[in-house]
Amino acid sequence: MFENIKKEFTTRTLVLIPIAIAINIAIGELVVRLKLPVYLDSIGTVLVGAIAGPWAGALTGGLANLIWGLFNPFAAPFFYVAAAIGLMAGFAGKRGAFQNETPRWVSVVVGAVFVFSLTLFILAFINASTDETGYTSYPSMSQLFSQYLGIFIFAILAGAAIGYFLLQKGGYAGMWGLITGIVAAIISAPTAAYVFGGVTGSGTDLLVAAFRASGGGILASVLAQGSVSDPFDKMLSFMVVWLIIRSLPARFTSR
Amino acid sequence: MNALGMYVARESGLHSLHPLTKVLLTLLFITAGLTLPGNWTGYFIVAFIVFPLAFWGRVVSNLFSATWKVSLPFAISVILIHGFFWGEGTPVFEVGILSPKWEGAIFAAISMGRIILVMSVFLLFSMTTRPDALMITLKQAGVPSSIAYIIVTTLQIAPSFQRKALTILDAQRSRGLETEGNLYIRAKALIPLILPLVLGSLMEVEERAIAIEARGFNSGKKETSLIEIPDTPLQKNIRRIVIFSIFGLIVLGVLWRL
Repeated sequence: MFENIKKEFTTRTLVLIPIAIAINIAIGELVVRLKLPVYLDSIGTVLVGAIAGPWAGALTGGLANLIWGLFNPFAAPFFYVAAAIGLMAGFAGKRGAFQNETPRWVSVVVGAVFVFSLTLFILAFINASTDETGYTSYPSMSQLFSQYLGIFIFAILAGAAIGYFLLQKGGYAGMWGLITGIVAAIISAPTAAYVFGGVTGSGTDLLVAAFRASGGGILASVLAQGSVSDPFDKMLSFMVVWLIIRSLPARFTSR
Repeated sequence: MNALGMYVARESGLHSLHPLTKVLLTLLFITAGLTLPGNWTGYFIVAFIVFPLAFWGRVVSNLFSATWKVSLPFAISVILIHGFFWGEGTPVFEVGILSPKWEGAIFAAISMGRIILVMSVFLLFSMTTRPDALMITLKQAGVPSSIAYIIVTTLQIAPSFQRKALTILDAQRSRGLETEGNLYIRAKALIPLILPLVLGSLMEVEERAIAIEARGFNSGKKETSLIEIPDTPLQKNIRRIVIFSIFGLIVLGVLWRL
């Protein structure tokens, strides 16, 4: 195990890491200039994970946030989340998610399953009720299905469309991005809720407000906000890296 | 962004402290603010520790304006969300559907204390510590030189990468890439901007790898440094106490909440 970690950190990897962190920052800048409603601030991290391996990816993510913390302290406490993103990207890379083309029907299934579960999650969250003792009860699946059948069918169709037109042949990479986004949402929620009162000072706070208004607790609302915005953001990041890796000369990826 | 971070060059006792002492004190203040019981600990630490230290370091006005700048968006969100979307509680006033709650306002105030604490402590550290001096001391303390290389190089190359991104933006625009308009048009512009940036940057990797290997990066011999960072026995002892205090606070913080 230790030997494997050491093998990831060749001179080329060490040189690649600062470049990747600078890419994170530069792309963040481009996204702001284009006024896009996403972050896409971990493309460099995912790239290192994909090219060099999980531990190099984790180091890139962690250091990126700590260095960025010198300028904006908000990033620093989330260094472990960025490290987890790099780690996941590395595992995805080891399974070939970035090199291979995915049949388009797989992308359709990935998109449909994801949007379906997201809808299920949000509806269960909105319809949860808390009694006087503070015990939260969630509605049963059959109850939700009979009540919102139209919405679920729409969600599956919309997900399938996203899979077909957006994921295209990068279905596996997109799927790994979605999973990574969910992991990131879960592990970042406690820090966001406890240290920063559940806010990020950006547009996604509107989502937190919406979930609070529908009766969710602070931690639950932050988690719900993250589960809506993070998977989509990480899916796009993984897809972009998939595109990058496929346009790289072979001598770069063969090592 | 520049290679010296937020560093503010001043002659002061705080500036001349050993960087490791400042790293550990930064961690101590944040741990204390987040683990000690009591809702207003954050404000106390800012008022009675961070502010006097900033005064000692002669960066009070810089620290104040920087903390204000980074905390303001959080303040707006915290007050709006917890003030107006609290749920059950004692209303402050009721105007139509708007009814801010006392409980929400108090929670917002508690959260702001933590936010201001984290922001001001980190900013005080980066304003009074040169990143290059920090790297030298980290290396001397046994942190692998590869980590130091990554941090120093990132701080050096990030500004040029930002410039490169904007150059690519201009170049693609002059070739007719639309970067304004509706969301779909702007989103479509992203790939023609990202690919040249990343592919161009990756071509540098080979060159840089050869360059640092030629300079004995992998030699494994202990490096010497041109710059000496002054240290005192007193600070060494303070650092030991601080390390114990941080672990103590974490253990106590967990026990208090059980």
